[in-house]
Amino acid sequence: MEPAEIIQHSGGVIGASWLMIALPLLGAAVLLLGGRKTDKFGHLLGVAMAVASFVVAALAFIQLLGFAPGERRRGVELYDLIPGIAKVGLLVDPLSISFCLLITFVGSLIHIYSIGYMAHDPARRRFFAYLNLFVAAMLVLVLADNYLGLYVGWEGVGLASYLLIGFWQHKPTAATAAKKAFIVNRVGDFGLSIGIFTIFATFHSLSYQGVAEGMAKGGSIPATAIGLLLLLGACGKSAQLPLQSWLLDAMEGPTPVSALIHAATMVTAGVYLVVRSGPIFQATDTAQLVVTIVGVATLLAGAIIGTAKDDIKKALAGSTMSQIGYMMLAAGIGPAGYAFAIAHLITHGFFKADMFLGAGSVMHGMNDEVNMRKYGGLRKVMPITFVTFFIGYLAIIGFPLLSGYFTKDGIIETAMEHNAILGWLAVLGAGITGFYMSRLVFMTFFGKKRWEADAHPHESPAVMTWPLIILSIGAIVLGAFLILGNRFMLFLSPAVGRPEELPSFHPFSTTGLATLALVAVGVVFAWYRYGSAEVPGVAPRGSFLTAFARRDLYGDALNEALLMRPGQWLTRLAVYFDNRGVDGLVNSLAALIGGSSGRLRRIQTGYVRSYALSIFVGAAVLVGAWFVVGNL
Amino acid sequence: MNGTIQAPTLEYAQLAPMLVVFGAAIVGVLVEAFAPRYLRSAIHVPITLLSLAGAFALTIWQVVKGVPTKPAAMGAVAVDGPSLFIWGTILVLAFVSVLLINDEDHFVAAAAAVPGSAEEEQALHEGAGHTEVYPLALFAVGGMLLFPASNDLLVMFVALEVMSLPLYLLCGLARRRRLLSQEAAVKYFLLGAFSSAFFLYGTALLYGYAGSIDLAKISAALGVVGGQETLLYIGVAMLGVGLLFKIGAAPFQAWKPDVYQGAPTPITALMASGTLVAAFGALLRVFWVALGGLDWNWSPVLWAVAILTMVVGAILAITQTDIKRMLAYSSIAHGGFLLVGVVATGAAAGQNSKALSAILFYLVAYGFTTVGAFAVVTMVRDAGGEAWHLSRWAGLGKRSPLLAGIFAFFLLAFAGIPLTSGFFGKYAVFQAAVAGGATPLVIVGVVASAVAAFFYVRVIVLMFFSDPAADGPSVVLPSRGTAAVVGVAVLATVFLGVFPQPVLHLAQNAAQSLFIR
Amino acid sequence: MTTHYLVLSALLFAIGGVGVLVRRNAIVVFMCVELMLNACNLAFVTFARQNGNLDGQIIAFFVMIVAAAEVVIGLAIIVTIFRTRRSASVDDASLLKY
Repeated sequence: MEPAEIIQHSGGVIGASWLMIALPLLGAAVLLLGGRKTDKFGHLLGVAMAVASFVVAALAFIQLLGFAPGERRRGVELYDLIPGIAKVGLLVDPLSISFCLLITFVGSLIHIYSIGYMAHDPARRRFFAYLNLFVAAMLVLVLADNYLGLYVGWEGVGLASYLLIGFWQHKPTAATAAKKAFIVNRVGDFGLSIGIFTIFATFHSLSYQGVAEGMAKGGSIPATAIGLLLLLGACGKSAQLPLQSWLLDAMEGPTPVSALIHAATMVTAGVYLVVRSGPIFQATDTAQLVVTIVGVATLLAGAIIGTAKDDIKKALAGSTMSQIGYMMLAAGIGPAGYAFAIAHLITHGFFKADMFLGAGSVMHGMNDEVNMRKYGGLRKVMPITFVTFFIGYLAIIGFPLLSGYFTKDGIIETAMEHNAILGWLAVLGAGITGFYMSRLVFMTFFGKKRWEADAHPHESPAVMTWPLIILSIGAIVLGAFLILGNRFMLFLSPAVGRPEELPSFHPFSTTGLATLALVAVGVVFAWYRYGSAEVPGVAPRGSFLTAFARRDLYGDALNEALLMRPGQWLTRLAVYFDNRGVDGLVNSLAALIGGSSGRLRRIQTGYVRSYALSIFVGAAVLVGAWFVVGNL
Repeated sequence: MNGTIQAPTLEYAQLAPMLVVFGAAIVGVLVEAFAPRYLRSAIHVPITLLSLAGAFALTIWQVVKGVPTKPAAMGAVAVDGPSLFIWGTILVLAFVSVLLINDEDHFVAAAAAVPGSAEEEQALHEGAGHTEVYPLALFAVGGMLLFPASNDLLVMFVALEVMSLPLYLLCGLARRRRLLSQEAAVKYFLLGAFSSAFFLYGTALLYGYAGSIDLAKISAALGVVGGQETLLYIGVAMLGVGLLFKIGAAPFQAWKPDVYQGAPTPITALMASGTLVAAFGALLRVFWVALGGLDWNWSPVLWAVAILTMVVGAILAITQTDIKRMLAYSSIAHGGFLLVGVVATGAAAGQNSKALSAILFYLVAYGFTTVGAFAVVTMVRDAGGEAWHLSRWAGLGKRSPLLAGIFAFFLLAFAGIPLTSGFFGKYAVFQAAVAGGATPLVIVGVVASAVAAFFYVRVIVLMFFSDPAADGPSVVLPSRGTAAVVGVAVLATVFLGVFPQPVLHLAQNAAQSLFIR
Repeated sequence: MTTHYLVLSALLFAIGGVGVLVRRNAIVVFMCVELMLNACNLAFVTFARQNGNLDGQIIAFFVMIVAAAEVVIGLAIIVTIFRTRRSASVDDASLLKY
């Protein structure tokens, strides 16, 4: 089934959906420009703007549901930026509204959580300003009805991410991590921008509608090239191989940031891009194949990295990579996978934000200690954090009837049907997930206390625990709600299309049982290693495999050898060429212009009579020229 | 019919904006004559600002009521779409410039006193000031309103003089650097009078050719009257001299740098924005209404003028060391870019309303940015008054980052960087020119823009990447008026750069109704 | 025969124009400009006769008034600079250049 036509819409909440973007942007502007005067109420304003944005999103969602499914793609035209080339418009359709609800809802909860988490930070106002800025930019990204708008949002979230990773810029590690994230993302953005140029050159339009129409019309379209370029952009933003290395370092940012940006929303923008560009990817098997391969490779790599990390946030970051790999895999399959990709994205947004915030709560109680080897037995002192984290844990490993069970299983089943090798690799990934997540939970909440002497763990305040509780409820029920009866697939189909034959949910399929069995093996093995046994306070040397995983699979070394070194050579070469060749040319040209300027300005003698002469001569020339032209 | 004189009919409603401005100017003269000295300023400022605001409201009212389709005042004045758009622009720019003028220490205490004499000392001591600047400015604004709206050449000549004469005086009234200021006034006056004599002689020849000075009748006579093409050619060329002089197009640009530099900065702002807008309005009207129907193509000459103007403006600006002078050359270059648009209106595409709307948009965008830039110049001062020399601006970014940032923003807008108003102005004009078949001209324009970008960026580099001079200028705390001017200019530059559509739309509507004949 | 008048007017205009270029005294320069305006007037009146309507003669009156206004302004400016510089030579006023 093809996506529906876009209907121009005005009035109602959808017509005013720009408010979703404008409100947090206003919040950011007030907080950044208002300076210290807004210190007192800054956090409250930030929360209010995020919540208000959610309310608008929810109302727009309700209005959207009022239309027949075929009429649920509503375009909202704001203004013509460059007549005939770039219109600024929004597209409110099932896909974008799903993202809006996720971003504003989880975003609001994380704003609220941050009131408690950042309570003692002197720069709390600035933090909320950046968070608001992020929400606004992310909404631009998903609401734009064209690639240019998407790019603006894409760079906007990149900026917000940079600012927030380096929020504690007094820490050199944070400053470096922020730069690394920015630079690695540049590589991806480079691909994206060239992809967008190619789109414009091919279709003479940047709107999704125009691209879809152009694809339908056919002709010679470099779909594979565009698809791969867009994928490069997606890899950068979503930390997929080979541009994954920044995400682990990004954990230097405050934990709410890791939860919102580097788990629930921003890093999933790549998946959004691939799904939104469906018409292009569906026309090219090669690009789709590459997307699925990237997805599978990343889901395994992320999982392996997750097994070896002792830093609780880095372990979670590895897991994020891995889960986005699942989404990417599904998004590469086509209409059959889109709904599962987005559904998993939403449930993952909930349970991963839940766990990140839980990790934040643990750190909050443990003097910002992140090393899991110094945790242990925390379930008794932090009961709410433990219960909510445990729910998130069950959801991610795919414990039956929780969110992850439905959405991840959907992806694995679809992948299995698409290509058995990919399917079995995805099953293997699920097993590893079971192991490393269990390891994390056992090391943190079970076993003996391995705390530092000065640690006095305690439960976090209500403003931090309530968001955890709400997120964990989502982690329990959302999967079933979305997947059972193909509810989400039908909802999404006007925006992205759907397979001819709707999938049906089989609780006891071979694949499902195999997945469960492997996960169970993983959990038991983790219990044997980390639950029942003593966990050493210092990490043992381990095998070369462990070392391999600890070094992020030598991702940095690889980057260094493959990108940085040749890059440095290239820049050196370019500098040499620039100095000798280009500069020589430019400088002599500049000298020429400068010299002629220096000489020409002598015409301006300062004598009024010579000015009058120039007028007189000019008039004579004008008269003569007119004669010549007139008599031609 | 013979022997009886028919009373002329005047459409007061259509002329109301001008009447308000001229009326307020006359009231200002009376205030000057009868009000005690200490009260004058307090009376002038509200009268001036209110009359400009009132005239603006009347202009808007006119637009809402429906743009007139026939010339007013017995065919002497044409209040049409472009006129109304230009009026609105001029009135807003004039309002903003008057806020700058309101900072009274720009003006000399007693113009008649010899600089440095005891007389001047005394006048300064008494706190005297030339409050005449307000009525003079109003007269000039009134002339600017009439200039682009005049539908016959005599009215246009009178408007030209009404606009210019007060400006000649205003140029000579700077409080500091009075020698330069007076020199600017003399130069501007002599050259202005010289060029308007050309304008008038052109008018006489066209009158001889067509038997009328009415633009529409001249247009009607084209092609009908035979055997007198000589009169037509010389007449049009000389008329062109007068108009191109006001625009500052090469080779008639020589006055601009000297006058812009010497004049009091608020007056420079008024001239660089208001006069330029008015002069382009008049130029378009003459070339469109009177000469639109020429069966021979006048655009090759304008091509040459446009190219020369862009090149001269951009190249000479590079080696300038005085900020006001540099902005003056930049204004010349921008005049050249606008002439590219004028060429497009007459090019193969015929009467191209797209080019017209592009010019109108460019004028608004450039007007606001230039007023803002000169407002910033008034704020950077040292012991001798405003610090004009560029070396004094070194390191300003470190001393007062906000002001330097704003100025850098204006410069980027001049250079036409995206997300500033300058980008869309240039884009619209160049696009219209390409559509009108003037691609080579656009290429020259783009190259000139690139050269121009160099000297804009050079100032930015100077402000932010040089070490401040030890005794560098200080930035004065702006008065409310100046701060408002800078604020309005920044907002307009941002707004037109991000949301150009409303103004572009307005300009398109104005251009659609075209110039009436 | 109106041609003679036109030729005279052109001559006067040219003399005025050349005068502006060659004379140094600001007052004389200004008088040359006035001469150019009067040349225009002559042309207007001539064309009025040639065209057989009165417009040109009326225009001449307007021009005279404008010229008078110009004199007022011009003399004010020239006198001011003369008082400052003790010289009415236009060549002395050349501080602003390049």
